[in-house]
Amino acid sequence: MAYLEPYTSVLTARTAAHLLRRATFGPTQTEITNFTGMTAAAAVQLLISNANYSPPPPIDLDSNQPGAGETYMDKPFDHGRNFELGHYLRCWWLGLMASQTAPPSLLDKLTLFWQNHFVTTREGVGDYRFLHQYLLLLRNGALTNFRTLVIEITKDPAMLRYLNGNENVVGSPNENYGRELQELLTVGVIDFAGNKNYTEDDVKAAARVLTGWQYTNFEEDGSTEFTTHFALDKHDTTNKTFSSHYGNTIITGRSTATAGDDELADLVDMLLNHPQCARFICRKLYRWYVNPNVDQTIEDNVIIPLANFFASPTNNFAIQPVIVKLLTSQIFFDNATIGSMVKAPVDLAVGMMRFFNQPVPTLPTDYAAFKIYGDFLYYRMQDMLQPLMDQPSVFGYEPYYQTGFSRVWINTTTIGYRYQYTDAYAEPFLMVSPTYQMGIDVVAWATQLQRAASPTGDFSDVPVTPAVTCTVIVNTFIKNLFAVELFTTQVDFLIDTIMMGGLPRTSWNFEWNAYRSEPTNGGYRYAVLDRMQKLVKFILRMAEFHIC
Amino acid sequence: MKRRDFLAAASASVLPVMLNGFGLKAMSGQSALVQSLLGTTALASDRALVIIYLNGGNDGLNTVIPLDQYSLYNGLRSNIAIPQNSVLTLDGNAATGLHPAMTGLKNLYNNGKLSIVHSVSYPNPDQSHYRATDIWMTAVDANQTSDSGWAGRYLENRFPGYPVGYPNTQMKDPLAIQIGYLTSTTLLGSQQSMGIALSDPNSFYQLVGGPNNNTPPADLPCCEAGELIAYIRRQQALSVGYAKEIKDAAGIGVNRATYPPAADKNYLADQLKIVARLIDGGLNTKIYFVSLSGFDTHSTQVDTDVTIGAHALLLGKLSDAIAAFQQDLNLMGKEDRVVGMTFSEFGRRANSNNSKGTDHGTAAPMFVFGSSVKHRTIGQNPDLATLPGTNGNKEIPMQIDFRRVYTDILNDWFGTNRTTTNSLLFHEFPTVSLFSDTVETVTSGNWQDRSTWTVGRMPFANEYVKVNAGHTITVGQNIMVKNIKLNGKLKFTGPYKVRIVG
Repeated sequence: MAYLEPYTSVLTARTAAHLLRRATFGPTQTEITNFTGMTAAAAVQLLISNANYSPPPPIDLDSNQPGAGETYMDKPFDHGRNFELGHYLRCWWLGLMASQTAPPSLLDKLTLFWQNHFVTTREGVGDYRFLHQYLLLLRNGALTNFRTLVIEITKDPAMLRYLNGNENVVGSPNENYGRELQELLTVGVIDFAGNKNYTEDDVKAAARVLTGWQYTNFEEDGSTEFTTHFALDKHDTTNKTFSSHYGNTIITGRSTATAGDDELADLVDMLLNHPQCARFICRKLYRWYVNPNVDQTIEDNVIIPLANFFASPTNNFAIQPVIVKLLTSQIFFDNATIGSMVKAPVDLAVGMMRFFNQPVPTLPTDYAAFKIYGDFLYYRMQDMLQPLMDQPSVFGYEPYYQTGFSRVWINTTTIGYRYQYTDAYAEPFLMVSPTYQMGIDVVAWATQLQRAASPTGDFSDVPVTPAVTCTVIVNTFIKNLFAVELFTTQVDFLIDTIMMGGLPRTSWNFEWNAYRSEPTNGGYRYAVLDRMQKLVKFILRMAEFHIC
Repeated sequence: MKRRDFLAAASASVLPVMLNGFGLKAMSGQSALVQSLLGTTALASDRALVIIYLNGGNDGLNTVIPLDQYSLYNGLRSNIAIPQNSVLTLDGNAATGLHPAMTGLKNLYNNGKLSIVHSVSYPNPDQSHYRATDIWMTAVDANQTSDSGWAGRYLENRFPGYPVGYPNTQMKDPLAIQIGYLTSTTLLGSQQSMGIALSDPNSFYQLVGGPNNNTPPADLPCCEAGELIAYIRRQQALSVGYAKEIKDAAGIGVNRATYPPAADKNYLADQLKIVARLIDGGLNTKIYFVSLSGFDTHSTQVDTDVTIGAHALLLGKLSDAIAAFQQDLNLMGKEDRVVGMTFSEFGRRANSNNSKGTDHGTAAPMFVFGSSVKHRTIGQNPDLATLPGTNGNKEIPMQIDFRRVYTDILNDWFGTNRTTTNSLLFHEFPTVSLFSDTVETVTSGNWQDRSTWTVGRMPFANEYVKVNAGHTITVGQNIMVKNIKLNGKLKFTGPYKVRIVG
């Protein structure tokens, strides 16, 4: 079996769709077409170079506010609107994820990985400006260098707030971040064989290294800026000694103005030198992009070689080369990899917006519509157990670490919420704006198919152009929709049992032609609409649609 | 857009769902009305109804065959007519026979457990599958539409506020269970389906964890994708409402009868087998909805040997499935608790087409089965000599409005208040005496006129007869009855006698 060796075959529609489902939040049909025929290397390079690092800033989406439709991160802090302005940041990010006008990029999927790795939450942090800066730090740094990212996130106001770094002062250390930095952010609590990677004394020592970092103007009404600074008087200037897990490293205590940065650099060097650190990160990336299940064979043949590369002197913890290696590997494109995880709610929610071409309302002009769109995505994802930037704990979303992994997304309750979400596409009801009903207009969609079949583009030329059959309807609808191919028996079942309800396939032609002849006849329209809605509703509820 | 919005666009008149003047939306589970209804003894009844939908429009004339008019029958459809000597004959009913594939139903008829209801339809019948199905399921006039199904309205009336506050001590089980992929309109209440859908026998077995020998394992791709799909499907099955109650009943219940072998691929029998198991397991569900597809036989409904072929296979499955189910109920001692009925959106045209098939028609027979039915025949064979129709086409005219059958089920089987039944069905319909051994007059008229009688035909000598108050029945022949009760009058046109057989 092949592992990290480069995948050199040209992408087919199936493998292109697979790459896009995993590296982005899911493709549009056009994107699948565009990526078909490329090499994996070129495709991943394009997904990297397409990234837009300067999107327009978040917008106040509340039409009752005088500043509606305007930016707000640049305005004095408003504590009374802390929740909603933090929420609009999430909506803004969802807008970037769901955009179909920006060329497809892997940036935001990777940013979400880092956000779920370096977790802070809206609920836990509060100050929306802190969250914004934190998110931009992760987004701008997503493909840069892991060492830099760890250093920057350690000093980030949102992280100082979320894991109490602000309260970690000499004489009364707060060990929260010192612990999570090791347990969750760098080396991991245990190695693959189950051995502990550090001691409790290492937690205490790390906390002492990190004393003295402070943020300013947290939730300070009217404040126009905030920052992180190092307070030497709050810093523990003594030497910090670590266990044999870290080669008994001693970090020299300093008393200079740069003591905080200097000791932090030493600490992060020590953490990254731990043999398990690179493996811990690479294993997590593998679980995010390739397959949640890591057995000894994968550990030996993928994780360890990838980690060795990640930590090698030439690479020196650069992230982008690791992402490229993983996404262009043979194991990534292996047939057994395709469909090996349950779609996360964000993949389902944002992925469907993209696949079914539900455009993101334009900011700042259509801010009211944008709010409806963003709220819908956010709250439905919350129902399905993935509230964006509000992980249930510092561990991140459960399916990325709990036994069962991506299966954890599915239980008898979330199944119901998943149905509720997909049904909204089959039976549209949400008015995003007076002229924009979210969901699939199946009749309009089938009408396009019919027009395309006509030499003149006419819909009602019944005597000239035969009806688009139910077989074509089903096969066109499911094209590139599933990660796995349906069996012929399943396709027949969709046509005969679900769409036609046991009637002969030819009955569709009569019903469809009746509607074509008289499109204003409500009864004719309802008959064809009902069949197609039942079909779409069923397909989107199929287990096959919920894996990627 | 919701169903009601479409209907509003498609039709001029959408009937409001009103029960005795109360809009259903106004009934919260906490209201005094709802609470008082919950306390009534009607809820304690353990009767159930099984609805079998024959999807596509069953060819009635090759199902129930008018032996008394065989040459006319043969003349209408010589390319598909069942040979006279192959038709199954019925005890005490020389006029009518059954398709040779239906030995099971023949035996039920002979044992008094099957009612054949002739020529069932409604005024101004529709021949579109979609619309006709809707009419049968919502029980409306042909020119009206409704947001809810007839059985759904019944359940909503009987179990107010569902699903809020359910399960409760009065009703711990699902009100209705449908085995099928899509929720039937029949079970739609004003706000949501009143039923629980078990998508197919396979998902039932996924839920209860037992082996399923009657359906093949669902297709799964290789590797982890296949494992995940299997996992999600199982979670989907478990997410069905009342999963625990269904699972518990299935765990206790057993099938005692022999059902058709897997090789028969009798999907209807698979469904009824599950229903029987749930009933045996003590589930108090009121309505079960099952279906069999393939009745839209526009061509080749018979093979070269006209007694076999597509339609014969379907009728055989129907008959075998019902017979096994009824036997199962008998062996579990619950025959008196269950009645079943078949329906199809329309019958097929009396005259066959050149493709050895039949096109969409109008009236057709219904079957009602169970030990509680009181008359083996309701209505009589269609009169093939006088069939209406244009352009050489011959249609079977209506004798019995389908809503009369629904009326008897609601009033006499489920014990619904008559006024309520009338409001559930939007009109008052006369009984067909499905569950009453007495044949009654519905109007003044001639004794021998079928429209005089609830059962749509003259009373037999072994039947009780009641002439209702205000009716005058003209007698022009000697008559024999088991007994007669005269609340109205008999008018003799000559020296004729009424003989009481007793």
